[in-house]
Amino acid sequence: MTARRDTVPTSVDGVLEKSIHDIDIPPRPLVIDQISAEMRREMPDLRNVAQLISRDVSLAAGLIKTANSPYFGFATRARSVYEALAMLGLGVTSRAIAAISLRGAFPNSAHYERFWHASAEIAALSGWLSQQIISPRIRADDAYTFGLFRDCGIVILLRRFPEYQGILEKANHDADNPFTDSEQAALPTDHTVVGCLLAQNWWLPDDICQAIRHHHRLNTLDEQTIQLSLPSRRLIALAQTAEYLVQQITGGSRTEEWKKMGPSCLHLLGLDEALLTSFFPEAEKLLATIA
Amino acid sequence: MRDHPPSIDRITGFLDRSSCLRAVNERLAAGAPKHPLLCALWLDVDRFLQINESFGHQAGDEVITRVAERIRMTICRDDCLLARVGSDEFVAVFRVPDRAAAERIGRALLLAIEQPLRIDELLIHPSVSIGIALLQAHDDAQSLLERADQAMIEAKRQGGARLSVAGSDCAPARHGLHLARAELAIEADLHTALENGGLVLDFQPVVTLDGRIEAVEGLMRCHAHGRLLMPGRFIPVAEKTGLIVRLGEWSLLQGARFAARLRDAQHPTKVAINVSRAQLTSPGFIAALHGALICANIDPALLELEITESLAMEVAEVVQDNLRRAREAGVGLSIDDFGTGYSSLSSLKDLPATKLKLDRSFFHLLPDDRRAFAVVRSVAQLGRELGMVVVAEGIETQAQYDAVEAAGIEAIQGFLIARPMSEEALLDWLNQRREA
Repeated sequence: MTARRDTVPTSVDGVLEKSIHDIDIPPRPLVIDQISAEMRREMPDLRNVAQLISRDVSLAAGLIKTANSPYFGFATRARSVYEALAMLGLGVTSRAIAAISLRGAFPNSAHYERFWHASAEIAALSGWLSQQIISPRIRADDAYTFGLFRDCGIVILLRRFPEYQGILEKANHDADNPFTDSEQAALPTDHTVVGCLLAQNWWLPDDICQAIRHHHRLNTLDEQTIQLSLPSRRLIALAQTAEYLVQQITGGSRTEEWKKMGPSCLHLLGLDEALLTSFFPEAEKLLATIA
Repeated sequence: MRDHPPSIDRITGFLDRSSCLRAVNERLAAGAPKHPLLCALWLDVDRFLQINESFGHQAGDEVITRVAERIRMTICRDDCLLARVGSDEFVAVFRVPDRAAAERIGRALLLAIEQPLRIDELLIHPSVSIGIALLQAHDDAQSLLERADQAMIEAKRQGGARLSVAGSDCAPARHGLHLARAELAIEADLHTALENGGLVLDFQPVVTLDGRIEAVEGLMRCHAHGRLLMPGRFIPVAEKTGLIVRLGEWSLLQGARFAARLRDAQHPTKVAINVSRAQLTSPGFIAALHGALICANIDPALLELEITESLAMEVAEVVQDNLRRAREAGVGLSIDDFGTGYSSLSSLKDLPATKLKLDRSFFHLLPDDRRAFAVVRSVAQLGRELGMVVVAEGIETQAQYDAVEAAGIEAIQGFLIARPMSEEALLDWLNQRREA
């Protein structure tokens, strides 16, 4: 996984579009463009894509590992890039490549170690949690991808605005207003907007992009008038619940989001506090595997 | 009363066709309440013959068993009748509150069934086509199932792995508007393109008469399912479905990124991006505009928003407010297709625009039509005196070029200079011009 220190493929840079100086949005990995081109063909050829991915050993290893990971939720195991591709299909492979490449796509990524670690935890727990909920069905790979990309706009803004760290702290402690209010009071934009732009640019599915865009909007989960699809709302609820689990288990950095959105999240996922508590032991085991 | 015990299919445990018909008729005869609605789904496994031929009948039977399992798990209702009505065909009959609920279940089935199946060492990617019919006043079991079957055939005709609803040429879009079938296909294309890189911007240069590059305009193209759609086809559908806001935000970022790329290639040039009314009335517009500028890290003066004349004259406060805030951010504002709306010349002074693009219809009449020439010359002079750059659109011939020059217009856009082209082609074109 990209966001895990031990598995960041060092040569991911090699698959990124030739970097353009001074552009703050990380460029889309070239392999994603090549997969997209293959998907647009009448008869996509998995072998072409498998060959492309196999040229980069760490990318290939990352893909197989992702395909077999418990948070992607596939019962069968892939032993080669080709098998992983056949199992995931081109669309999910493209998302998996995005996930593997995200962290490495940011220059000086090591500066944001804690952020990436937290994202990796939320992503993994989201993917796992989606499989614990029988109804509504939420695709584990979507849940994982969303968890990883949900807050990536924060890194873009941290790199650009020196004062952003302070803004974030204020937003984290605001128990009444939407998180993004604190950002918009100080900046002309916020992390949900730039995160959504990045996700669109990396061709993530629209449900994921829109979930990124609206994940701090209060009432977004229960208000029918907001034009947000049910899958997007479920992704938001799932990742928020995963974040809550992480915080409960690790006692890590607290935000006020659960107070604002928790009940709606549980309602949308058909969960209650007791059921949520019953997830703790398994979730704790899973978190321990994320170094 | 049943005449026969129901026959059960050996492989799936579902009812067979005749038992299914009898069971549905029994439900109808029982005079069950009209609400919730009774609906029938007809599912046909795509390319089943191929699966049988390529992998053998045993694997084929296994696929049928597993698909049946997925149908049962996904619908998951006690009152649901499930039947296997052909070698690769299933029927499910159950009650739903409304048509949307039936479609939701149909979509959930598509998704559940398309998960890859591992059978021994084989990995099979099954898919189904689904037809949905809702019970109508005159229906009996036979006619209800026939209509579901017909709808399934229609779903197959459209390429399979999708659902179709019987008895209607239209289906609800995400925003509740009804779309004709052709429009639905375009909506599907747009969704596909948003997820597999099928959207691109081509760029067409705007050149001053003294040979400078004044700007390049981004023009959206959509590739999906092997066809190329031009904006004239898909923008109206995007406007109806609300997708236009997402396409617009995507364009803003692509335009800003290309402006950065041009700057870094030593061709600093404004990039113009079309902005729709839906974007300008959406509350997130300014945040998205700034987001694009921040992500691309460009001087805002390198981005220009193109809006239509009627949008520029729009009285809605949110539109005017967003236009003003865009100008305050330092972004250029260009009025596209000027002369096609009903603005009076005097209203030009109220426009917050930096550029006026005169519609191509003026120039079709040039150079012969003296009256058209007089209008062009007057507007050019007025625009210039109001501090705007005046551009002639759609210039295709040397004679038009000469007339435009005589009318005092500063810049032109059209096939005479260059057609819209990809980012790479435009960079090559700029490099060649520089060398020449």
